[in-house]
Parts: sequence; C-alpha cells; structure tokens
Amino acid sequence: MYEFQYHRPESLDEAAKIFAGADDPKFLAGGMTMIPVMKQRLAMPSDIIDLSRIGELTGLSAGAGMVTIGAMTPHAEVAGSKEVEKAIPALAALAGGIGDPAVRNRGTIGGSIANNDPSADYPAAVLGLNATVHTTARDIAADAFFTDMFETALEDDELITRVSFPAPEKAAYAKFANPASRYATAGVFVAKTATGIRVAVTGAGACVFRVEAMEQALSKDFSPGALDGIAVPADELNADIHASAEYRSHLIGVLARRAVLQTG
Amino acid sequence: MEKFGIGQGIRRHEDFRFLSGKGTYIDDITHDGMVHAVVVRSPHAHAKIVAIEAQSAMAMPGVLLIVTGEDWTREGFGTMPTKSAVQKKIDGTPLNQPPRHALAIDTARYVGEPVALVVAETEMQAVDAAEALDIDYDELDAVVDPVKALAPGAPQLWDDIPGNFCLDFELGDKDGTQAAFASADHVVSLAIENNRVTAVPLETRGAIASYDPETENYLLENATQNVHANRATFAGDVLNIPEEQLHHIAPDVGGGFGAKNSAYGEPALILYAAKRTGRPVKWINQRGESFLSDTHGRGQLSTVELALDKDGTFRALRTSTIGGIGCYCWTVGPFTPSGGAARTQGGPYNFPAMYYSSKVAFTNTAPMDPYRGAGRPEASFQTERIIDYAARTLGFDPVELRRRNLMTPDMLPRKTPMGLDVDSGNFPEVFDRTLAMSDRAGYRARVAASAEKGIRRGFAIAPYMECTGGGPKEFAGVDFGRDGTVTLRVGSQSTGMGHETSMPQILAAELGIDFDRVTYVQGDTEATPIGGGHGGSRNLEVGGNAVLQAAREITAKGKRIAAHLLNSNEDDIDFADGAFKDVKTGQSIAMDDVIEASFETGRLPEAMDPGCLDTGTVYEREIITIPNGCHAAEVEVDPETGAVRVERFWAVDDFGKIINPLLADGQVMGGVAQGLGQALLEEIVYDEDSGQLLTGSLMDYALPRADDLPEMKIAYFEDAPTAKNPLGVKGAGEAGCCGAPPAIVNAVIDALAPDGVRHIEMPLTPEKVWRAIASAR
Repeated sequence: MYEFQYHRPESLDEAAKIFAGADDPKFLAGGMTMIPVMKQRLAMPSDIIDLSRIGELTGLSAGAGMVTIGAMTPHAEVAGSKEVEKAIPALAALAGGIGDPAVRNRGTIGGSIANNDPSADYPAAVLGLNATVHTTARDIAADAFFTDMFETALEDDELITRVSFPAPEKAAYAKFANPASRYATAGVFVAKTATGIRVAVTGAGACVFRVEAMEQALSKDFSPGALDGIAVPADELNADIHASAEYRSHLIGVLARRAVLQTG
Repeated sequence: MEKFGIGQGIRRHEDFRFLSGKGTYIDDITHDGMVHAVVVRSPHAHAKIVAIEAQSAMAMPGVLLIVTGEDWTREGFGTMPTKSAVQKKIDGTPLNQPPRHALAIDTARYVGEPVALVVAETEMQAVDAAEALDIDYDELDAVVDPVKALAPGAPQLWDDIPGNFCLDFELGDKDGTQAAFASADHVVSLAIENNRVTAVPLETRGAIASYDPETENYLLENATQNVHANRATFAGDVLNIPEEQLHHIAPDVGGGFGAKNSAYGEPALILYAAKRTGRPVKWINQRGESFLSDTHGRGQLSTVELALDKDGTFRALRTSTIGGIGCYCWTVGPFTPSGGAARTQGGPYNFPAMYYSSKVAFTNTAPMDPYRGAGRPEASFQTERIIDYAARTLGFDPVELRRRNLMTPDMLPRKTPMGLDVDSGNFPEVFDRTLAMSDRAGYRARVAASAEKGIRRGFAIAPYMECTGGGPKEFAGVDFGRDGTVTLRVGSQSTGMGHETSMPQILAAELGIDFDRVTYVQGDTEATPIGGGHGGSRNLEVGGNAVLQAAREITAKGKRIAAHLLNSNEDDIDFADGAFKDVKTGQSIAMDDVIEASFETGRLPEAMDPGCLDTGTVYEREIITIPNGCHAAEVEVDPETGAVRVERFWAVDDFGKIINPLLADGQVMGGVAQGLGQALLEEIVYDEDSGQLLTGSLMDYALPRADDLPEMKIAYFEDAPTAKNPLGVKGAGEAGCCGAPPAIVNAVIDALAPDGVRHIEMPLTPEKVWRAIASAR
C-alpha cells in the first residue's frame, strides 16, 4: 500500500465535502476489491473515504412488491433476510452464493455494482430484475447503469445510496463458479417481471448484458426447451485460463435453461 | 496411563496453541532494533541484468542496505550445490549443474528470481525503496516447456550447458522389458501429464537473521522444514563459516509439504544483511511472491506403456518421462523426475519386468523440488492410469484386472524390478477390504439416482505402494528434571503434523510416565546434534524409532538402578507398566522412584552418576519402508458443464503400526485433499511466450476448499507388520497424494466410459471434461 489519508464520515454531506477537498479520493465500501488492489500498489488514492459509518447507506426493507437495499448492506445480510427470501428468493440465493463467508460479511451491494467486475454476481440481479440504482444525484435504471468492464454510469463523486428491486413474478439465478475465486465463470439471471422477461448474463462478457433472443423466446414459451438453439456467439465473450469463450457460450445456454427450470 | 498409549487417538497437544492464535510463527517474532528486508524479484522470465542503479534508492528515507549480485560476487559467497540422490547421467558423467547463488548475479532466469535485497527501518520504507530501485534489464527469449527446452533451437539458459540438458536417467531392465513387450499379446501406450502444482503453505516463507559481532555468531529463525541440512548449506557453502557459528531455529511452521525443504536464497541474503547492518533483519514473503518463488512440484510429461497377455496378466511396464526443473538443480530438483519417480513404478503389482527412463531439462520457471511424495505420486498415477486405460481399451474389468495382478503375500519379501525392497504387505487383502468398505452392493442404485438428475456416476479403485525417504539418521534426546519434567528433543520436525503429540506419546508409553509431563523440543540446531527435519514421511519411521531407542536405553539404565535399590540381580528385573519388578522376589519399584533415585549419588550403583538417565541416541534406518494401501472414489460428473464432484472416498492404508489413529487420519485426509487438488483443480500455468506466471494468486490458482472434499472413510490394515524398524511403522505422510489422484481421475473416466471418453489430462477442469465428452461423441 501507498500512504493515504483515511476518513470515516458519518453522513453523506460530510463524505461529499471530504471528497471535494481531496486530491485523488476513493470511496471505500466493503473493500473486497479496493483493499487487495491497494495492497498490491495497483492504486494510489490520496484519500480513502470509508462509508461504513454512514447511516443513510444502511437498511433493508421489503414491501409493496419492492425490496430496497442500502448500499452498505453486506451480502450475508441480504442472504439471511427473511423479507428478501420471501419477496425475491432468487436475490437472497444469489447473495448467499457470492464468494465465501468472509466476503459475504464484508462485501456490500453498493461496492459490488459500483465496481462492476465482469464476473460479479450482483450485476446480474440488478439487470435481470430491472432494479433502480438510487444515488446521491439521481435514480439510474439498471439498463443504463452498467456501461463497460469496471465502468458504470456513476460520476466520480456520485455515491450509490440504495438499490430497489421490483419483485418479479418469478426469477432464478444459475451460476457456474470459478473454482479458485468463486466468482462467476458464467452466471445467468432469468426473471419474469411485470415489464417482461429479462435474461442477464454475468461472468462471460466484458460487462453484464441481456440476451434479447432468449428473452423473446421465453416470452413466447417460458420453458427450458424454448432456449434450444439460442446461443450467445463466442466471439463476444471472454476467454482466460479458466474458460474459453466457446465454453462460456455453452455455459450460458446450460445455465439459462437451469435458471428457467429453477424458477419452478 | 492407557489412554495415552501407542495406538490411542490422543488429540493434538499443540491444537490449543494453534487454534487460539497462540502459535509462534516467524511474523509473530520481533527483536529489538529489528529492520525489514524486501526482495526485489525479476519481472522477466529471462533477462540480462545490465545495471542496477542503487544510489537513489539508498538515499530514500530509512534505507539501510541494498544488496545486488555485484555485492554478492565481491563478497565471494559460495553457491548452493544440489543434494540430489541422483548425481550422474546415464553415461556416468556428473549431471549438469549451473551455479546457484542466493540471488541472480548477472542474468535473471525466471519471473520472481531474487535480483536484489532492500533493507530499511520499516517494511513500508523497504517496499518503497524496492519499488524505486532502478534496474536496467535486457530481455532474452524464454522457454518454460521442458520438451521445447530440450528441442534444437530453444533459448539457451546457460552458456556452458548446451540444450538446457541437466541429466538423463534410467532404471530397470531395458532389454528384458523390451523382450516382454515384443512377445506380449497386448501393448497399450498413453501420454500422461503430471500437472505442475505448488504447495501453498498457509504460512508463507519468511525468516529473521541476527548477528552478534562480539561472538561472530549468527541466529537464523526461519520457516523451514530442515534446520540442520540448511545450516550446512548457509554456513558451509555460502557464508564460509563453521556450522557452529550459525544457530538455526524453526519455530512453529505453518505447513511445508516439501516447499520449505530446501535452502533458498533469501535467508542467506538476510544473514549477510544482518551482519552488514548490525540489526536483526526480518523478511516475510507475500502470497504473490510465494507463488512466484516457492519450489513447485510434479510437472512431468510421460509416455507410459503396458504389456500384458490376453488373459490380462501383466508382463512389463515402461515409462519415459521429461521433467522441467527450472533454471537450477536447486536442492534435489533433478531427483524427482529421475530416481524419485522411478522407484515405485508398477505400484503393488507383480511386474516381471520394468524400465524407467527420463530426461531432465532446465526451464525459465520457478525451481522444482519435492512436493508431498516427490515422484511416488507421479509413479502411482502413471501406473494406475495406464492400467485403467488398458482395461478400457482391451475390454477388461478395471477392478478385476487390478485384483488379478497384485503381488500376493507369498511373493514377499521381494525386490521389485525397480530395486524396491518389499518386505511386508497384503495387497489383495487391503484391496478386498477397500472394495468391501465401499458398498459395491449399493452402487447400481446410486448410479440410477445420479442418472435421475442427469448426472453420470463413476467408481474407481486405486491400490498404491510407495516408500519413505529423507534423512536416514535421527537423534532423540531425553532429559529428566528433578521436578518430574521430561524433555524430549528430536531432530525431525513438524510443520503441522503433530509431532508434539505422537513423539511424546511413544516416550510416555515406553517409560510408563504421564504424557503431559513430556515437553517436546524440535527444529533447533542447538537442541540436537543432528536432525533430518521433515520429508519423505520419515518422522515416525526414523524419528519415532529414535525415541523408542532412547526409551529403551533409559529403561535399561533404569533396570540397573532398580536392581541396586531392590538388592536384585539386574537380569531378574522386568520393566512393564511403569514399574521395575524382580521376577523372583516379586518386589517392584515405580519408574518415578527410579527417576528420583537417579539424581541421588547415594541411591545409585557405583558406576552411575546423578543425572545418568539423561539419554541421547541416534537411530539409523537400514532400509526404507513400504507404505501401501488402496483408495477408492465415487464421483459425479455433470455432462452438461463438465463439473466433477467427488462424492465418496474410501481408504484402507497399511502404514504398519498406527501410533495415533487421529493423527494418521489427518495425514490421510490432508494427502487426499492435495491429491484431489492435483486431480481436479490445481495447475501452475506459465505463459508460453513471455514466461509470466498466469496463476499467481489464489484467485487463479484453485486450491481445494472444504466444500470440494467428500466425506472420507478411512481404515488401517495393521496385519502385515514390517520388521525393518522396531516400532513397526511404515510412514503415513504422503500416501494420500499417491492414492487420491488415480482413484479420482479413473472414477471420472469410468463415469464417462459410456460416452466413449478414454483419457483426460489433470487437472480435470470442467472445460476439459466437457470437451472430452464433446469430442468423444
């Protein structure tokens, strides 16, 4: 790590002031990516603004067909919430499958989607459930939020405050975990929502994305068989030492069918 | 007393310390005035070090010293020679050995090779200066694949070693094997890779060096498996000082598995730094450095051939291997792909003829040295894979083919064609017990249940036979305190295996004293005159027998004291259950009374002095023992994704006499976990062109986690005792790595046999399994 100034504000206003006055500040949520990156000296922020004491970023509520999760809510809290489990069981299950217990108790939903790791799980739920990302400046629709690999619509000084998920008619997330990192080699979130069928894929491309062909097929016939013959072309997908693009393309098909099956 | 006897599953004495964070590992130790060292490592796989501009880094805050290859040359420090048991090529000339210094002198030959050492007041200052150190490299072509390294036109690592060739090796009967192949009904051949893996000990390597200018003595506290042998290297070979001037201590060591066996360069560098700075110097490897610079294991490419008759009787086995060992011979790098993998070829099967040959290459990779088993797991895997492949391709039942070719007890003792002295064992009985334990009757139902879910299920059984290794001699010393305490000092060393429990257990049982009275001392060159450290499953076999020998010497002395106190003839004294008894008079005296008397001149026979029960003894093994057993696995394979899950696992192991079944279970489970890792998950991958390590973190190098492991059923076979040592033990540490990989891999092949899959290279990653299914269809 390089030297940096550490701040732990207790309100969003205070955080914004520190941010505005600092040279090259970074917000710190759970630190699941930021801290390893800093330890390896791959980042050199002048100031770290720890968000863990800001009450406005915590809290979890469910009701009236909506689950709202404060940005600093750790995955384990979402996974263990009876309310979430009841309203959107697929969301609770997804949170319960992120990383390992240490990650689930430190990592937060805000941190995860702001970082937008191409292999992270939460982006699939946000996009698949057509969630709204509430920030200190505005509300951003899921479809407009994730822009590219590690890129989002957020401005530098903009903080996610909470994410609201409309409860779908049914939904499921099927993930094929990288055995080393337990990130998604590929993960597919399928949801039947009020506004239609949504299929969101994480882990496989530069950034979470929807598969229109699958959505259309499932709109006509919500069954695993409806997806037969629909594939995301390998040339649009990631390849690394863990999985080729071709294998990821294959996995997307398998996982999409399994997700449909899991929705029951 | 009984509950602490030999054969009792005593819980580990050291567990509370370890589990409550009270262990003392290197990074827990701090000395007054201690400063910090950081190793600057080569970012290139092969590069000329043109210049190191150290002046500006030296001027940074807190920086005390920067050591480069130039300094090392100027100081005239020696190189670290290989201790490989195989030292010659087939033609009898010595193996090719490049000079290995503690750091790269003028050329770096793998990513992560030490190029400089930076010492500063604080760790952060050292890291800052290390980053700022200006090194001008001239990049050269690199070669990481041993086959390519041996091919004409490959980048040359050493000017005076043409073709990157370290040595070639052969063992067995070449002509007899050839004849058997020529006349056999069937011959099968298969290319088999033993994937390159690394140990990833929980505690990374690290050390603290101190120097006392008055006495000119050094103290090295080091996360090592082997204080005595490495002291000899650091003192004798590198620093050119008498061994007595280097006190080498290993405190609690958090795992080794072979990766902490050898004399690395870093401790030598900080010993020098301690003298130069006059301050204790601490160095701790980061996890990423550990991946780059720890020794790796396996990494062998083999062609394995099996000759058999039409009834399935084995005629001969022939293996030819290419192994890459990095750019140095390191400590025993050349041995594993040569003698190490040769010895146990053929496993517990009756092979009339065998022949093993290998070529060992230098490569631009991290060094190779032992990894849990060091050649025996490779041999076991090669043998079991080719047998399985033969069964599949020739139409034999894989279980039956194995069963019919096992050596039977009436064939023992025998020397295998590889020269291994097999004195004891009942391989068919161990095989049958494993089969019986594994519930074959319920198998069809389990296959059907898996099929319901769209999952393939497979089973495989893998008998194995290996051997112990490591230093043949061990010291055990016992000191009695007047307060009733007993101190046991042994030169073998635990890196987490539980010696603090098993070794006192032997002593306490033999002397009939309370286990809790024994304090255990290990890993200290001043505590024992010699020590073989850790390696080759040798602790009970060599160290345990040293303890037994010491105990027997003590009871012999005790008999003389007892005879004196009881006015008996020494010959009439029997020792049992903690008491010396005159068999004629029936009078007896307790061990503790004898111990007490041993401190008092007036109560001792004339020739004995107070403190006479204190004993130090050296036990020397004559012939290595033959641990063996049989493992079996049932796996589930998802044909859609290629994911493999090991569902059930059974092991029956013949480790000879079991001293502590709980600790033995730990050894089996740990070995199986590492075997499963090699079979399914782990692989060190270098980029072919750049030589960069692609699996440099736990995000990319897949270690098995608890939820990857099946529940294991473990049993021991103790009915084939060995007379090779008084304790009757055969060694337990590396067996799991021999049995698990073939059991798991062959079970996957069994599951996919209906799809037409015949072979998949380790690790059996989901994509490889998926591709194998797709291409077999």
